[in-house]
Amino acid sequence: MSESALYRDLVLEHNRSPRGLGALPACTHAAEGDNPLCGDRLRIELALDAAGRVQGFAFSGEACAITTATASLLGERVRGLDAAAIADLDARFARLVRGDCDADPALDGLNALAELRAYPARRKCALLPWATLAAALRGTPHATTEATA
Amino acid sequence: MTARTLPAGTPLDPQRIRADFPLLARTVHGKPLVYFDNANTGQKPTAVIEATSAFYREHNANVARAVHQLGEEATAAYEATRDKLARFIGAPSRNEVVFTSGTTQATNTVAYTWALSRLQPGDAVLVTQMEHHANIVPWQLVCARTGATLKAAPITESGELIVEKFVEMLTPDVKLAGVVHVSNVLGTVNPVAELARECRRRGIPLLVDGSQACPHMKVDVAALGCDFYTLTGHKMFGPTGTGALWAKREHLESMPPFFGGGEMIRRVSFEGTTYADPPHKFEAGTPNIAGVVGLGAAIDYLEGVGMDRIAAYERELLAYASDALAEVEGLRVFGTAARKAAVISFLVEGAHAHDLATLLDHEGVAVRSGHHCAHPLMQFYGVPATARASLAFYNTREEVDRFVAALRKVRKLLA
Repeated sequence: MSESALYRDLVLEHNRSPRGLGALPACTHAAEGDNPLCGDRLRIELALDAAGRVQGFAFSGEACAITTATASLLGERVRGLDAAAIADLDARFARLVRGDCDADPALDGLNALAELRAYPARRKCALLPWATLAAALRGTPHATTEATA
Repeated sequence: MTARTLPAGTPLDPQRIRADFPLLARTVHGKPLVYFDNANTGQKPTAVIEATSAFYREHNANVARAVHQLGEEATAAYEATRDKLARFIGAPSRNEVVFTSGTTQATNTVAYTWALSRLQPGDAVLVTQMEHHANIVPWQLVCARTGATLKAAPITESGELIVEKFVEMLTPDVKLAGVVHVSNVLGTVNPVAELARECRRRGIPLLVDGSQACPHMKVDVAALGCDFYTLTGHKMFGPTGTGALWAKREHLESMPPFFGGGEMIRRVSFEGTTYADPPHKFEAGTPNIAGVVGLGAAIDYLEGVGMDRIAAYERELLAYASDALAEVEGLRVFGTAARKAAVISFLVEGAHAHDLATLLDHEGVAVRSGHHCAHPLMQFYGVPATARASLAFYNTREEVDRFVAALRKVRKLLA
């Protein structure tokens, strides 16, 4: 296999063993998102504390490696954060995959997806978990990548 | 020497064909291109590129309205394609061939000018489970406006239409039937002549979506016995934005115009307008003249190679590819009909179609991934998407080998 900068080891590893895959018994917020480009669907369940910080994150659905790894890395990164902090990260991630910056320390492991700058057709795959998370935080039950791309 | 000069009876030599398609020589991600996305669009032979370009360089003028020399030349070149296309699909008359932007416009023309005024509440349109959205959504739109319903005949797990069910569903409420000639996802070749016979027996017109048939096999609409036949030029190695609707004269005469404007009229006054005869009645405005001229060159090219020779070569290539893919562990093929064109939809265990397509692209192999504009078919198989390798007469066994080797690598990476 030629070197695939998009499918880095970290991405492949999170695709193979996703963190937070499944349902959340103590779920307080949830949303479903879909990517009309490929028909992928994702469900994100959250447990927020009294201050609105993410204490639990789970996702489910049938999705590609890029979506799955993003959701897995996202769940790890947003633990303990509130909606405002997550919105800030969302904007940083959008800049990263557009190629507006090389790497952003605030994004931590999500920097592994930076190579999406060279794959405009696959960007929506990574944006699906973000759009779904934002919808769950807003209290809207459904999200689509068509509105966020 | 181009493929067109091959003497009859010689088997197709893909290397000669490839030399006529300049794009096939390029590389992708540093690897030689293996173009397996032919059901999406075909690459263009030099003859097509040259014909389109020569039209603009030497003959450009509008058609059917200028008396000057260039106008005559442009009209002659444009209308020459109508003759070629009529012959190519076995149309009884050149006047039954309407140029459109492709199959989608052709089907919508029938939906809005034939079906809309005829459908009533309680009526139905019958299609099949394996249709492209272009043979589903136009009917849904006219059904919503008329109170008619859309029904779909079922298929088997192997991707074959259950003909008895289709015939059973041709009940008196069905006012029109639509069926894809060759499935863009499964490659299934439907028994169109048989379906048309059953439709005729019940007085139900049949529309056949020929997008995926015309580039790969000899089509004869008169022998098929259907009422409407749609085709797409860019899949036949012609320019994008070209295509045609063939319809029996009686239908074209009964159908009102779709678009109004120039070209399609006989006489216009504010009291009323009389329309040109078919096919011009359906070709309002300035058409894609250069594109249609290029489509004429594509038809010349295909006829020069020979549709039977193309079909025979692709049949052999499909068998070779199917055997090679059967050796890949964890690979599932969707569509194993007995009569099948060189289209292979597949998934590999543990890998999503988009990941397969992106990683194959790294190896220079272009395949499509996604729902292939056939959501109901994806729902039937219970998958969100598949990857699809669709072959053409310029593809080779060596390319199949490289595809299969790349697939093994991808499988290892994602496992």
